Amino acid sequence: MNRLMMKLFVASEAIFFVSLMVAYVYFWISARFGTEALARLDIVTSGVFTGMLVLSSGTLWMSERSRNRGKRTAALVWLGATLLLGAAFLAGQSHEYYRLLSGGFTIGSDEFGTSFFTLTGFHGLHLLLGLLTLGTLMLLLSKGYLDNDRANVMATAGIYWHFVDAVWVVVFTLIYVFPHIAPHLAPHVVQNITGS
Amino acid sequence: MESLLHVPEPAEPLPSATTRRGLLEWISSVDHKQVGIMYQWVALLFFLAGGALALMMRVQLSVANNRFLSPEVYNQFFTMHGTVMIFFVLMPALIGAGVYLVPLMIGANEMAYPRLNALSMWLTLFGGLLLFFSFLTGGAPDAGWFNYAPLTEEVYTGSGINYYCMGLLIAGIGSVAAGLNFVVTILKMRVPDMSLKRMPLFVWMMLITAFLILGALPSLNAALSMLLLDRLLHAMFFVNTHGSPLLWQHLFWLFGHPEVYILILPAFGIFSEVFPVFSRKPIFGYSFVVASGIAIALLAYGVWMHHMFAAGLGNTVNAFFSASSLLIGVPTGVKIFNWLGTMYGGSIRLRMPMLFAVAFLIEFTIGGLTGIMFAIVPIDWQVTDSYVVVAHLHYVFVGGSLFGVFAGLFYWFPKMSGKMLDEKLGRVFFWLFVIGFNLTFLIQHWLGMIGMPRRVYTYLDFPHYTLFNMISTVGAFLMAASVFVLLWNIFKSIRSGEVAPPDPWDANTLEWYTDSPPSLKNFERVPPVTSDRPLYDFKHSHQPDDAT
Amino acid sequence: MLAKPLWYHFFADTLVFSFRLIAQRQLSVLPNVLSTSMMNPAGEQARRIAQLTNYFFIAASFVLLVVTVLTVLFLYKFRAKAGDAEPKQIKRNVKVELVMVGVPLAMVVFFFFLTVKTMRAVLPQHHDRAPDVIVTGHQWWWEVQYPLANVTTANEVHLPVGKPVLVELKSADVIHDWWVPELGNKMDMIPDRENFLWITVHEAGYYQGACSEFCGTQHAWMRIQVYADSDTDFNNFITSHQPVAQTPTSPLAQTGERIFNTMTCGDCHRINGTAANGDDAPDLTHFASRRTMLTGMLPNDARHVHQFLANPQAVKSGVHMPNFALDDTSQNALVAYLTQLK
Repeated sequence: MNRLMMKLFVASEAIFFVSLMVAYVYFWISARFGTEALARLDIVTSGVFTGMLVLSSGTLWMSERSRNRGKRTAALVWLGATLLLGAAFLAGQSHEYYRLLSGGFTIGSDEFGTSFFTLTGFHGLHLLLGLLTLGTLMLLLSKGYLDNDRANVMATAGIYWHFVDAVWVVVFTLIYVFPHIAPHLAPHVVQNITGS
Repeated sequence: MESLLHVPEPAEPLPSATTRRGLLEWISSVDHKQVGIMYQWVALLFFLAGGALALMMRVQLSVANNRFLSPEVYNQFFTMHGTVMIFFVLMPALIGAGVYLVPLMIGANEMAYPRLNALSMWLTLFGGLLLFFSFLTGGAPDAGWFNYAPLTEEVYTGSGINYYCMGLLIAGIGSVAAGLNFVVTILKMRVPDMSLKRMPLFVWMMLITAFLILGALPSLNAALSMLLLDRLLHAMFFVNTHGSPLLWQHLFWLFGHPEVYILILPAFGIFSEVFPVFSRKPIFGYSFVVASGIAIALLAYGVWMHHMFAAGLGNTVNAFFSASSLLIGVPTGVKIFNWLGTMYGGSIRLRMPMLFAVAFLIEFTIGGLTGIMFAIVPIDWQVTDSYVVVAHLHYVFVGGSLFGVFAGLFYWFPKMSGKMLDEKLGRVFFWLFVIGFNLTFLIQHWLGMIGMPRRVYTYLDFPHYTLFNMISTVGAFLMAASVFVLLWNIFKSIRSGEVAPPDPWDANTLEWYTDSPPSLKNFERVPPVTSDRPLYDFKHSHQPDDAT
Repeated sequence: MLAKPLWYHFFADTLVFSFRLIAQRQLSVLPNVLSTSMMNPAGEQARRIAQLTNYFFIAASFVLLVVTVLTVLFLYKFRAKAGDAEPKQIKRNVKVELVMVGVPLAMVVFFFFLTVKTMRAVLPQHHDRAPDVIVTGHQWWWEVQYPLANVTTANEVHLPVGKPVLVELKSADVIHDWWVPELGNKMDMIPDRENFLWITVHEAGYYQGACSEFCGTQHAWMRIQVYADSDTDFNNFITSHQPVAQTPTSPLAQTGERIFNTMTCGDCHRINGTAANGDDAPDLTHFASRRTMLTGMLPNDARHVHQFLANPQAVKSGVHMPNFALDDTSQNALVAYLTQLK
């Protein structure tokens, strides 16, 4: 029941992120900011932190597995690792933001700034909520409330964390990777529908 | 039937329907029945506010070149009227009806997430209050209920728009939570015998509506967030030169069109309960009603650009969305014949719920036909953004959704309160309201066709404009008067109305198996469910000289 | 073979007959009540749309009639009577359900074809043809340009009769919309975008319309005035608007011109041939040739120019023109100047 709820919630949030991504792609085409993205963004650093986030899904999976086998301590350790990796990612993102902002590049600088900070910002917000959830999970787990997890609390929270991770993989590919492949998407594509 | 539900066990006993209720117990309640009733009070509060706004608008429009309201004030009023009626009247009323009835109809004792349920309701209330707070901080939003960019950027409008965004974001979270709650409740908590094909149609419609909510609200949330970022952090989503006003329109209508189905499907569900009971026949074409509801939900995401036919997107795009919009009219409209088919050969009791149901048939047909009119692109090119739209939307929102709320009110009031609403007062209310409503809005079709655009605080003294507008205003006053009758009816009946038995209407579904009002724990035991009319089957299997 | 029942003949034959009459333009369902009605077409686009609307209205009335008649009939025929036995518990009838879906589906398919046909006739592609008129919406006035004739004016639109005119629609600030019901379809004016309309007026005359996309405080007073002129009249209009502004001859008017230029009026308003070259407010080069001011709000004469200059906000609140708090002498001079700008 709780897993169904989380899947539905995640599906709804997915539509939210798709809306933000549609806006990103639209502005990429209309404002031609592919080359600016290439110039401003650091794919290597972000790539490393992306790797950490992907790893955190793995550690969370390990944590769930441990709990299923009744190994509370192991579960806690893996969960802690997940939290650390997630926090590291957030720190990495914050550093990226700091670097850009102190260079005078803000959400209001141009269309790229608007789209970039909005899409990554909302992801970061969802990630932060995910970290709080993981922290709460650690607390519950350490006190023994999840030894008998008939309500599937861990699996439910897991779905959310894996979702946040998956969203980042898509966002990272879109924002960081694609400009290396095709800095200028075909301008005519969405022109008529989104208007300029 | 043993309950396997994990209803939270509070330290204090939960308020029970049979003991005296204090305000604090209501405020802290997570009982779906109390939350459902509180949703209705929220809806009523905002209905009175939104109605007062409309009445003042109609006074301003009663004669040409009127100076009762300045344009600044009028523009705030029409924006707030639309926003409030959609988000803070119809949504809470219909979602609240679902919250109250769905567990009862499926033989459950609670929603899947009782606390989340209560949170949804409080978020709706606070979102609405935040929206109204804008009147005190420099002015309410004044760019229309769909808030087109770039008019809504800070260079053109004041802080009211910020309240629009925040109020709707807060209420939107409540709606999404309600959507989650409904889907999980309906899919996971039905009595084991109740397969999907044996669910009451109201439950089906709430299920479909819940999916629509989950799919539509995200676009609105994205648009509102983007606008707030533009206004507060100088982002460039919708600004002139750098941004795209059309982007707002796409995102908004991707929400906006499914939203109107969110508002009508629960009403369809209510009518699908009322027609069978008051005709003493099963619904005609149960599978068909379900299938058309699902078809509507799927098509709902493919019609949004019919709000943008005059935006110059090209005839290919227009043709596609014309086709999809014409198509969606079929499952929407054909249900009229399902309900007529239910009446056919029946034994019709014209009690209050049925009175509204029958009126709905005609009003909604009118509204639906003008909807088809808008799907025909060249006609839309003349009538969009005119009073024809105002007429159309009121025929579907009032004649469709609101009549559903009224029918539901008269139908389920006995269950919720333990008292019958007064039938005579009900009829006075009905006739006053229906006559007033048609006086106000029927003539607006013509007013639009003779060139009056919408959202204007005044108009030139063209021939017939003043006459038609005056007629419209008279109708509004009739509606206002009728609302007083309704309020008096509710107040009087709660105080001293006729005591209601568990099943005053001889109905078909499980909620009528409980007491009126139900005890805190809805069901200890539930009759077996072998069709979509479990109570009907139960009553008939127990009849000693049952000829069938 | 079974004879068709009487009611069938009544409905179906009337329907077909009405459609035929409409096609032959011998029947309009909605009366041509008065001007500014979309059912009083004066242009080709409006005529096509009015015809389609008539067809639609017949079909819709038919549907509404059926629903209403059935509702009333059933209410009466199947009303509950004391001692009623339980009615037959019919749950479905596949044939009826198929008809219920099939007939409306056929009707919408029919109207879809009419839709596409009419769309193409009313708004065909303009390809690369240069527009005859460019109308730019501002809060709350219209900038009107005739690029081929090098004429710029404001608020009063002149169109030649009898030929398809390509109108380009733009916006300088928020979304506006052009709608003149007697002349046909409306079209949005969206900033940073060029939209197009075709207008083919059949009869010379004066046509009124309105901005039809809420654009702020004075949206209600952003009226559209269109003069459809014969060739001679249109040429006169163009040639009279091509020259620069008339030089004022009376001393009062000359004072007015000086005041106009020193009091920063020229920062917003343009008067060709003078130093005034603003783009944010209506072009005033031939102001006095216009019949109304403030987009149809007031007649254009000295008295009303005085009224507006004395307190713009009191006349059209929210308007972007500041109140210059002019003394009487200055105001008289300005009015004298403006009213001679023919």
